[in-house]
Amino acid sequence: MRLRVNGQEVEAQEGTLLLEITDPPHLCYHPHTETRGICRLCLVEVDGRLLPACTTQAQEGMEVRTDTQELQTLRRTLLEWLALTTDLGQAPSLLALLKAHHGQPQRWGKLPLNRREREPIRDNPFFLRDYAKCVNCRLCVDACGDGIMGVYALALEGRGLMAHPTTPLDRPLPETPCVFCGNCLQVCPTGALRPLSAEV
Amino acid sequence: MEKPSLLPLLDARLPLDEEKVAEAARLAGIPLAQAWGVVRYYPRYRGLPQGRLLVDDPVARARGFPRLLEKADGTHPPLGLEALSPIHVRVEGEKRFVEWEGRLVPFREFRLPFALGHGNRLLPSEPIQELAQYEALGGLVFLRRALENLLAPGAILEAVEEAGLLGRGGAAFPAHIKMRAVARGEAPRYLVVNADESEPGNFKDRFLLEHHPFLVLEGTLLAALATGATRVFLYVRDEFEAAILGLEKAIQQLEEARLLPVPTEVFRSGGLYICGEETALLESLEGKRAEPRLKPPFPVEKGLWGRPTLVQNVETLANLPLILKEGPGSWRQKEPKLFSISGDVAHPGLYELPLGTPLGEAVERAGGDPKGLKAVLLGGAAGVFTRDFALPLRYKGRIPLGAGAIVAFAKEVDLWEVLLGLAEFFREESCGKCFPCPLGTAVQVEMVRRRERDRDLVGHLGQALKGSLCGLGQSAYWAYQSLLEVEDAA
Ligand code: SF4
Ligand code: SF4
Ligand code: SF4
Ligand code: FES
Repeated sequence: MRLRVNGQEVEAQEGTLLLEITDPPHLCYHPHTETRGICRLCLVEVDGRLLPACTTQAQEGMEVRTDTQELQTLRRTLLEWLALTTDLGQAPSLLALLKAHHGQPQRWGKLPLNRREREPIRDNPFFLRDYAKCVNCRLCVDACGDGIMGVYALALEGRGLMAHPTTPLDRPLPETPCVFCGNCLQVCPTGALRPLSAEV
Repeated sequence: MEKPSLLPLLDARLPLDEEKVAEAARLAGIPLAQAWGVVRYYPRYRGLPQGRLLVDDPVARARGFPRLLEKADGTHPPLGLEALSPIHVRVEGEKRFVEWEGRLVPFREFRLPFALGHGNRLLPSEPIQELAQYEALGGLVFLRRALENLLAPGAILEAVEEAGLLGRGGAAFPAHIKMRAVARGEAPRYLVVNADESEPGNFKDRFLLEHHPFLVLEGTLLAALATGATRVFLYVRDEFEAAILGLEKAIQQLEEARLLPVPTEVFRSGGLYICGEETALLESLEGKRAEPRLKPPFPVEKGLWGRPTLVQNVETLANLPLILKEGPGSWRQKEPKLFSISGDVAHPGLYELPLGTPLGEAVERAGGDPKGLKAVLLGGAAGVFTRDFALPLRYKGRIPLGAGAIVAFAKEVDLWEVLLGLAEFFREESCGKCFPCPLGTAVQVEMVRRRERDRDLVGHLGQALKGSLCGLGQSAYWAYQSLLEVEDAA
């Protein structure tokens, strides 16, 4: 099967995700969970429409563009907004992307509604939940639930910008079904969940 | 597959405590984590805001909102009523009242006043809430024919196609394409009526549900027969209590008259703007957080509980009996559309006008004078400001019609205040699932607050929001961008 990526002819297998044959930045996609299509950083233009490369399968004759002016602007803006609202201090790959995209978060001005002021939650001996650094990608919720563990110790709280993961009934983790397997830490891309052993 | 939905289980247990949530989760057969996510999503499970609340919408914003707000304990999301005059809602415990003409009317009794509908052409010119009354006016003829096999499902589909009916919820997708796709799908199939009108400036579905329940139900059942749907759900905005009670009574009357070929039930919606997005609506019906799904697959292939599902707007379905009665050709010529016209016009209300009517004429019908207006907000919150009064009101035009809201603003109105209301509305209503929308709508509020006119910045805001997962985020900047255009043109 053949398609065109940025004008170049590409050979691909039926069912291949565009993410596997193109190289847009991506954050919420993880091969072991069902989470995808959320961060929108991997959007590409397919036959004139914006589609997430992490959920779109390659098809015969597709015209894919991964680096248009519009997509550049979109990614730059999204990264700036993340940096504006969230502490990316433990997310070196996101900071590198921001730099590569010439991001200037300050050009948007101040945002009173902010994730940065959240206090880290230390309710167990193994890891922290530091939601000031959380971008709400839900990878942890999925890893704990449907995606990997089937344990369901994590839930979602709220709507809009301040939505973030929590525990059932907002209980401390040890009072939930959590088995401290560490899968949620493994998938967290921002260091919002991190082992206490890494804290100095 | 199909499990008992969590929402009714929670509703039955209000006000909630931890034990009741756990019990509802058990009965629904879902992990407590999922149930907790639901409780922490819908405002009504967090407890209703108490006191005297000002209903907030762009019209209220144009009428000295801060002054009105001073006498209120808080705000309440749009209900459609406030488009007629500024309005307060009083919430005491679980009881809710509308303050209307100096009286406190319980929600379960309050219907939009019928003194609307000037310019009616196809819609009956009086409210019809009784079965006998509906039949006396020629209603149910087509449903009876369909039940007696005198009107085949295929013929209904053909009529809808010939009429060229476009979905009236805002997306304007051809109704017959969706219906045929569902009819082709594997059984069981479902039909869901999207009756969660929560968009500022729109009150046409509310009006139809409250005053023409049989028309809505006949259209719904015809669509169910045409698509072979075996269950019908009316997803009705929770606040429209009078409409819910009226529909339940009408369903019962149809059943008693043996005119209910498909099990039909009313489902109380989650009461949020995003619940009107068709895939979020389905999630909500299934008892989850009302968060839009990735498309494809589309609901016509995998909808409710993964089955082929027709999700259709109230007004769209109400047109089916009218199309059959008029004949598709004649209906097509008349192309009726309901417009909710409000704001600075002498007679705010609901108007049935043919598509193609120039905007200025629509405004004049409602007693407005285009010359005295600064602009019109066309389409609702997900709409645009315009002063192109020659614009023909039709789908597929240059400017989106949305669900058909027209809000007029007089010369002295500060449109930036109105825009701020819209921006705050989007920030509050963003579900938070994808990245661009919760971030962008929050940033937008601050940009509007400081009256940011930098073209690059506004352009970049729009570019990023365009990448949102659903229509809410994708349209959240339209009003902003259009206000700058209106200012430029002035
Ligand atoms: S450590 Fe606990 S919360 Fe994290 S995935 Fe494992 S069970 Fe779930
Ligand atoms: S804690 Fe980490 S994995 Fe979980 S939602 Fe936040 S950023 Fe994503
Ligand atoms: S665009 Fe907004 S409302 Fe739609 S899925 Fe994204 S966050 Fe939710
Ligand atoms: S990686 Fe594709 S949308 Fe996040």
